[in-house]
Amino acid sequence: MDGLIAHSETINKLLARYGVKFGIYKNGEFREQLFPFDPIPRVIGHEEFAYLEKGLRQRVDALNCFLRDIYGKKQILKDGVIPEEFVFSAKGYLPPCDGVVPPKGIYSHISGVDLVQSKNDSWYILEDNLRVPSGASYPMIAREFQRKSAPAAFLHNSVIDNRNYAQMLKSVMDNVNTGGINVILSPGRYNAAFFEHSYLAERTGAVLTTGSDLVCENDNLYYVDYEGRKRRVGAVYRRISDEYLDPMTFYEDSVIGIPHVFEAYRKGNVALLNAPGNGVADDKGIYYFVPKMIRYYLGEEAILQNAPTYLPYYQQDMKYTLDNFDNLVIKDVAEAGGYGVVFGNSLTKEQKADFITLLKNEPRRFIAQEVIDFYDLDILDENGGRVPRKADLRAFVLTGSTTQVWPSGLTRFSRNPNSFIVNSSQGGGFKDTWVLSR
Amino acid sequence: MDVSVPGCDNVRQSLGQFGSRRIYGCIDSPHTDFTIAVSGKVKTGLEIFEEFCEDPLESAVFRVQSGLTQPGPAIRAFHDSLDLCGSAYDRAMAIRKAVHEAFSYQPGATSVHESGEDAFARKQGVCQDYAHVMLSLLRMEGIPARYVTGMLVGEGASHAWVEALCGNWWYGFDPTNDLLVDDSYIRVSCGRDSADCAIIRGTFLGWAVQMQREQVRVEKYEEKI
Repeated sequence: MDGLIAHSETINKLLARYGVKFGIYKNGEFREQLFPFDPIPRVIGHEEFAYLEKGLRQRVDALNCFLRDIYGKKQILKDGVIPEEFVFSAKGYLPPCDGVVPPKGIYSHISGVDLVQSKNDSWYILEDNLRVPSGASYPMIAREFQRKSAPAAFLHNSVIDNRNYAQMLKSVMDNVNTGGINVILSPGRYNAAFFEHSYLAERTGAVLTTGSDLVCENDNLYYVDYEGRKRRVGAVYRRISDEYLDPMTFYEDSVIGIPHVFEAYRKGNVALLNAPGNGVADDKGIYYFVPKMIRYYLGEEAILQNAPTYLPYYQQDMKYTLDNFDNLVIKDVAEAGGYGVVFGNSLTKEQKADFITLLKNEPRRFIAQEVIDFYDLDILDENGGRVPRKADLRAFVLTGSTTQVWPSGLTRFSRNPNSFIVNSSQGGGFKDTWVLSR
Repeated sequence: MDVSVPGCDNVRQSLGQFGSRRIYGCIDSPHTDFTIAVSGKVKTGLEIFEEFCEDPLESAVFRVQSGLTQPGPAIRAFHDSLDLCGSAYDRAMAIRKAVHEAFSYQPGATSVHESGEDAFARKQGVCQDYAHVMLSLLRMEGIPARYVTGMLVGEGASHAWVEALCGNWWYGFDPTNDLLVDDSYIRVSCGRDSADCAIIRGTFLGWAVQMQREQVRVEKYEEKI
């Protein structure tokens, strides 16, 4: 461990040099900031990981079933398991996707599931990210540097090598490829995760592209290289969100998308990873129903639990929420990245009254959750001492011919000792995640 | 129906959302203008514009508010001031009349992506705004309702109105003219709000100032059966 810590500063310098940064837009201005790396890894034991793996595969399989159903027969709505308005008023529900079946019927190829471990050691799912979850590249590159700077730490601990992520990702792309090359579609250099786009392209052998490098002709997608040659594209790992993907189908002012790519996709001529329309399944309101989905589609009980969640949409949950307001965290279902999160006890009396009026007017817009007192992990402070901070884990679950969990993950921590919000867009840092082989 | 796009040799067709037909293509060489001419004969009549809805799930997506119909303080207060009762059809009729009276028609008052709430706060708008506010109120009443774009006999531009599900039938209501939809209305597409129903959309590459013009001409063509 000392070896890891000794090189902490060097590694952060290297990360900065490699451009491992996080870009943030705030008040209309683009600022890039470093994503601080903490050298003390989170360690997950062999058996514990086996348990997580089983639970995560189950969850992602059920979510894929749900997406296939919602954009197909909608049986789960007919059977009354989920109230239909939760689906149709979800921002991520996209009517153009109705009736469109993606290659091999897979919707969420790369899922980023956020978990926390509570003080009594149980794991809870905080949210599912089935659109464009980012973050796998950070532990990948940090591990690479740490292996060089402190090889002994890896020699003496049985840490599973996490550098196979690129291979896993490539086989996921190959599995749905409809004939042609794999590309990664990035919005470009000013995107928050541009480092990751270029890094993953390099590691998977996919071509790094932006919208202007790709054209649709006769409902096929082509990559136009620097000599003007066209090459057919079979799979697009797109790192731009649904609404910007195709100005002819979604947000018409988008200049980073590919006109008519949705038609090519509809006709089965190209795979998009992840499929457009997935936002309906990782909606905070739908989250509540995931354990019910697991029961409905797989006939199994959920292995990993949700954080205890209430839907003010249901009368009894509204009552509970109002009665226990100060102990709950209320989340706006339309927001992401740690925005729109309100801790009941942090509001002044007037703010609370205003918020309750809003809640009563738009109950569908909010969920309420018990605050989980999650496990602290040690980080190094500026003076080299160890201090405990809140941390979560983003697990990456990849669905190709089978669903697999990457034996690592992104551990994010909050640098502010009083904060529970660990999102990198809110200034948190990250750690490597070690999974032990025995 | 004839579609002509001079300079474009790859006009294709497909089925878009909510059963709308989609015609698409591109001109990939440099050009200064892009003209789409569509002409044809349309048959209208009661059996076409009053549609039977068998599967309640099909209408569920129209029961919830969408991006441009999200009510705010202005629409909410207006809803509270209305004394709505009776069947879905009765309430839709009352809403049509109330919206018609509350608004004043003002061409150019609103922008394309403006929500019903923003237009209603000013009480000025065009057919699109009338329709959005009516949709908003119908959905607050739990009545599934959809936005329709189309044309009217004699008008110089496209028009928009609302269809509401009353019982198992979709009925057309035109809040702008305070009329029920009849056989002088030609339906082009429908959706949750105007954002789903653009008659034309497109994009171009290059440096240019763009200007768009639309012309609609509808004449009656009577044919003996």
